[in-house]
Amino acid sequence: METTEIMDGKNITLERAGEEDRTLIFKNDMCAVCGLCETICPVSAIEANPTGAMIRTEQDMSKIDIDVNKCVLCGMCSSICPFQALDLQINGDSIRELQYPQLIKSAEIDNEECIHCKACETACPQDAIIITRELPSRAELITGEIDIDKETCIYCGMCEEMCPVDAIDIEHQTPTSDNPVVATDINVSEDICVHCGICKRICPVDAIKQVCRICPYGEYEISEPEINGNSYIDPELCINCTWCQEICPVDAAKVTKPFEGELTIEQDTCQGCETCVMVCPCNVLSFPKSTKSGLNAEKLHKDERFCIYCGACQKSCPVDAINVKRTQINYTPTKSKAWKKAFESLKQ
Amino acid sequence: MTIGLKTYRELCHGCGNCVVSCPVNALRSEEVAGGKGPSDDVDIIMIVEDGAIQLKNVDLCGKCGTCVQSCPVNAITLEEF
Repeated sequence: METTEIMDGKNITLERAGEEDRTLIFKNDMCAVCGLCETICPVSAIEANPTGAMIRTEQDMSKIDIDVNKCVLCGMCSSICPFQALDLQINGDSIRELQYPQLIKSAEIDNEECIHCKACETACPQDAIIITRELPSRAELITGEIDIDKETCIYCGMCEEMCPVDAIDIEHQTPTSDNPVVATDINVSEDICVHCGICKRICPVDAIKQVCRICPYGEYEISEPEINGNSYIDPELCINCTWCQEICPVDAAKVTKPFEGELTIEQDTCQGCETCVMVCPCNVLSFPKSTKSGLNAEKLHKDERFCIYCGACQKSCPVDAINVKRTQINYTPTKSKAWKKAFESLKQ
Repeated sequence: MTIGLKTYRELCHGCGNCVVSCPVNALRSEEVAGGKGPSDDVDIIMIVEDGAIQLKNVDLCGKCGTCVQSCPVNAITLEEF
């Protein structure tokens, strides 16, 4: 039973037929080059290439190398990968769906609580969230009256030009001897008009009458706007960084991280090369701007709320200024001592 | 497969961007961190010698790609060997 390797661009597939058909699939785009697969591999078949070089410079090679002669297709790399970049399939089924130990991680948005503000969609470092929403028409949120006196109107077009919502439409024409007028008609769409009053104020001949009813009568005529929407987190792209949970103004998002730990930065050693900032898949790190002239800002800023302790930053730092310590690995219970040992070996 | 620094001296303008942008160099030499070549014989990864880039201590390289990004003429790269 020989294992064969198939390269599809930078993606790697390892296959072995037998009593069970085992296939290991590596998706290069999903990989953050954190090196966890390299660390957990029991037969040292995986080599993760230099993180900074792989993320910041153009390379023809895959982010990791898998030695086809060493790999036993055990699936530990697939179980530990927090980015779903590796997947071992047994007879066509992913081990994430089978009774294999795996990381406990989740992310969900409660659609009942969600107000569809899109903050999570904007913040998500992996573009894993899609918020769709249907807003009411503007006309439903205003009330007023508008009327244009077509007899008085001189069809100068100023109202049409200034209307912020294009509610006014003039039928312009070039005057001819049999019809010597610059326009034939003017109409305002009451469904579009927001009763701002600009047309009335710009009109040089006072042909427009417009009143907003909110000022004299209040808002009682306007019903509560109905906003329908939906929230979706793509489970393949989500890396459980908790940005959605932390940025949500109504606590609609709940995230469970696969690892717990501690991230330490030695500010004096850091030279500000930005490698870690570019490498971090969770946008934990940033360079703060100085708030006052002459004031030294913190060199490298971290917000550990978003850190999943994958270790990609530590692996990428050329001056060893970053330390990632994993204190807890959240994985499903297993009786296998080998798997337990493998997961526990990632703690420091 | 290993990946490492490679230089193309014929392309190099000798601007020294790579030397001063390299975080390893900057940590090892205050002069380099301050934006100029070292005047002492401190061990750093690369220097500009005779008007072009010269690798000196590649074993110090953390392969972060900062020098590659700083080079205006692609005279320094991280490549497969």
